[in-house]
Amino acid sequence: MVSVNSMQSPFWLGGLLVMSICGISLPAVAQSTSTIIPNTATAEFNSPGKPPKSISSNTVKIPVQGGTAALEIIKIGDRASIEPGDAISYRLQIRNTGTATITDLSIKDTLPLGFKFLAKSPVGAIANAAGTPITTPSPITATVSGSVITFKYPELQPQQSLIIAYAALTSPDAVRGTGRNSAIAFGLSPSGSVNSNIASHRVLVQAGIVSDCGTLIGRVFEDRNFDGEQQPGEPGIPNAVVILEDGNRVMTDADGLYSLPFVLAGYHTGTLDLTSLPGYTLAPNLYRIDKNSTSRSVRLEPSGMARMNFAVTPTYREGVR
Amino acid sequence: MKTSKYIYQFSTVQILLLLGLSQSAISQPIPFYKTTVTSNADEIKVDNGLTLREAIALINGELKLENLSSAERSQVTPASQSSTIGFNLPSGQTQIALNSELPSITIPGTTIDGTTQPGYDATKSATQEISIAIPVVELIPAANVDVLRGLTIVSDRVTIRGLSIHGFSAAHKSTAMTPPADIFISHATPPPSIEKQKMPANFAPYYPDDIPPKNIIIENNWLGISPIGKTDRPSAFGVSVFQGENTTIRRNRIEFHDGSAIITSVAATNTDVSENIIVNNGLAGMPDAIRLEGNIDRSRIHGNLMCGNDGAGVYLFKPNGSVKISDNQIRYNGRRLRRAAIYLTGSGHEVIDNQISHQSGSGVVVGAYPQSDRNIIANNRFDTLEGMSIDLNTQENTYAQAWQTGDGPNPKHKGSYRHLETGNAAIDSPEFTTDEFTNANVITGTAEPNSQIALYKVQLNTEDDRGPLSQPIGQVMADAEGKFTAQLTGLGKGDRISATATDPTKGTSEPAINAAIGTWKDVKTTRNPTAIPACTTPPNPPIITPQPVLPIKLKAPTRIHFALDQDFISPVSATILNRIATVLNQYPGVSIELEGHTDPRANNDYNQALGMRRATNARTYLLRQGISASRMILRSLGETKRIAKGNSKIDYARDRRVEIIYRDSDGFELTVEESDLQLE
Repeated sequence: MVSVNSMQSPFWLGGLLVMSICGISLPAVAQSTSTIIPNTATAEFNSPGKPPKSISSNTVKIPVQGGTAALEIIKIGDRASIEPGDAISYRLQIRNTGTATITDLSIKDTLPLGFKFLAKSPVGAIANAAGTPITTPSPITATVSGSVITFKYPELQPQQSLIIAYAALTSPDAVRGTGRNSAIAFGLSPSGSVNSNIASHRVLVQAGIVSDCGTLIGRVFEDRNFDGEQQPGEPGIPNAVVILEDGNRVMTDADGLYSLPFVLAGYHTGTLDLTSLPGYTLAPNLYRIDKNSTSRSVRLEPSGMARMNFAVTPTYREGVR
Repeated sequence: MKTSKYIYQFSTVQILLLLGLSQSAISQPIPFYKTTVTSNADEIKVDNGLTLREAIALINGELKLENLSSAERSQVTPASQSSTIGFNLPSGQTQIALNSELPSITIPGTTIDGTTQPGYDATKSATQEISIAIPVVELIPAANVDVLRGLTIVSDRVTIRGLSIHGFSAAHKSTAMTPPADIFISHATPPPSIEKQKMPANFAPYYPDDIPPKNIIIENNWLGISPIGKTDRPSAFGVSVFQGENTTIRRNRIEFHDGSAIITSVAATNTDVSENIIVNNGLAGMPDAIRLEGNIDRSRIHGNLMCGNDGAGVYLFKPNGSVKISDNQIRYNGRRLRRAAIYLTGSGHEVIDNQISHQSGSGVVVGAYPQSDRNIIANNRFDTLEGMSIDLNTQENTYAQAWQTGDGPNPKHKGSYRHLETGNAAIDSPEFTTDEFTNANVITGTAEPNSQIALYKVQLNTEDDRGPLSQPIGQVMADAEGKFTAQLTGLGKGDRISATATDPTKGTSEPAINAAIGTWKDVKTTRNPTAIPACTTPPNPPIITPQPVLPIKLKAPTRIHFALDQDFISPVSATILNRIATVLNQYPGVSIELEGHTDPRANNDYNQALGMRRATNARTYLLRQGISASRMILRSLGETKRIAKGNSKIDYARDRRVEIIYRDSDGFELTVEESDLQLE
């Protein structure tokens, strides 16, 4: 996880831009309104013996271009994929690309479903045009309303950047969301309100521990009392092969155990490949008829675990049933 | 509330206990009888002859003496100490064909003695190797009836002597029929009965009151073969010690079983297996001659002949306790599956003074898992192996081959770091100072400090670089730095030596890399005298015509062919196999390899299995023609070695074959003329 506490290093900022994956930055020019200044001149002159006389010129209309303000925003996160329970840190860079000071800056950041803003996390910094931090502003104020976080900052000089970093925690709900969040900045300039482009960042939400893939486990062992269960004194059979309905082939370890993670939920069938066990055949189960089948069918619940055990016994007829 | 329930249950148990005690106290003890079986029928019926089934039922107390006819009663006399069943069957009616399983033998001390039958000659043996008298009374299943077990023994001090018991097996039904055996030793209600174990125990396969019977003796029986040494119906297993303590299995001939000759399961502590002839077993199932599993502590296997079996001679699969395997002759095993002659897992086993030869795998393998150490392997003689004499599996090598024939020479460990999960605690094999000693007076080398170095002479015609350990020739101790010096006698230029190191806290090492006396140029390549690949020899062997000078020019067919996706022997193929059998009978020194092949259609695994079935069926046919299993090795090459290049029907027909490769017993290939090609 990239530390977001330090804003001092220009390298970091450089890295920041490189790391920007989904952030799109387009300079937005604030709507500037030109002011017409009418200009007239008056001349007075005195003639001897005559009263003073004034004369007005024609009106000259000069349009005056005032200072303009423009905002651009970049958003990045510190990772491309995330699992529920992980924290992600986001970084916003809001830059005044105009020439006028922007006041009452507010940044609206909409988090994706299942992401929870960590209220104590935001830190901010002001950087000059070169990207060098110049001040650490008073704590950024953030207000949260649902999934929308609003950061407020009083004033951003031309060519200055406001950098805000904050963290969010993912909950299991995140797997249902898109993982994409967006941010936009607004402000007031002398010539009116300005708003920025929309920056967005998408993180791939992986199911992780809340994955609904299940695990198949099982064992192949020598059943000596024909109950289908492995008691102490019933050794596991190494290198036995279990074949699943999709052709997956699982081999038991030296203890006769096997497990298969990341199996899609649903019904699964496995069968023991008796040619991998010379000298053995499936043991009859004297207690449960259904366990006498050569194959096992299990229902694997989402993120569940299902068991396929095979009991075998030394035989005198290989490959014959 | 809960407490009171427990108290209630407790008192119920007490009442039941009291009831049980009082019941047994008032019931009459079952009297002992000395009985003589005079009828080979298999029924309980009031008639003139006492049958075996009647005798067992009478001794068990299931049949009352009053219910017998007077003729039958005349064969029964009361006895004081224990019951016996003798035989006096009319001549020519010594075969007892069972329609169903006999009742279990439930009375301690019962003896079933086939040696009492008139005509039994205890001095006459059919084999020279180990003298075992030929039985007269024969116990078989009735024609067209599957009987799972010959005799089931569930009580102490039972003796079974002098019987021929064979043919006990059963086709699998909706589930496997198991556990079968010619002689089955178990607690009182063995599976498949679950009347006692309505609810299985969760701490052990059986409850503590399923007490294994003790001190059972199985001796002088022929299991799996008739008194003329043949069978048409292979039995499933020979002796199955499912649960039994102090069982003695001695001087039996155990042959032609589809599974193991002797197999243990839950508990078989202190089993003594001695002087048995164990030949041609494991034909269609568990391939090992003696398969030891479960608790086998203090068991001993000594003086047996194990030959021509399909897997290992002795295979210890994750047992509890330790065994001693000594003075056995283990040769020509691993016919169908390449396995070690002796496979050990577990600790504290001893393998001493055995002769192990012609194994299609290693000699002795010590498994890497479960942790197996302190296994002493000493004074054995190894010869003609397809593997190492002693192979310690290393570094958690538990892949399939490591469980069969071992994993080959171990890397030397570095410094004090021992390789984890290695058999015999990763003891290093010794290293000779040089690979060419000028003479045998000063043999030097290094080994693990303070270990016992056993030096061996290496057989002449080997290409192995470690062993085989053919002949023990001396022992020295390594000093605290691991150096040893030995002076050997009886070695000349061109002999090769190897060595093992033994540390009682670790076990015995793998063999050292061979060193030569003289130079390697002196190493003799003369061949051992040709051994006849036979397991047993009749007492007056027919005089074998001396073998012609090699190479023999044999006129023998080398192929039989099969129908599409089939593994049965067609009548035409059978005539070819008959000719092969004739050749093999003519040259007893010739052994063959049967290689199963398939056409390239279907997938590789399927074809591999199909090729194996074809080879197995060809062998089964030859076995029935009297060819010893020790002369036939099975291989399957599946579709990997096609004979035809094209893909026409005739090409595929040529591919579907079993090839017969003739070798003399030293693996020297003979010139063979291909005689015919049979198309399906």
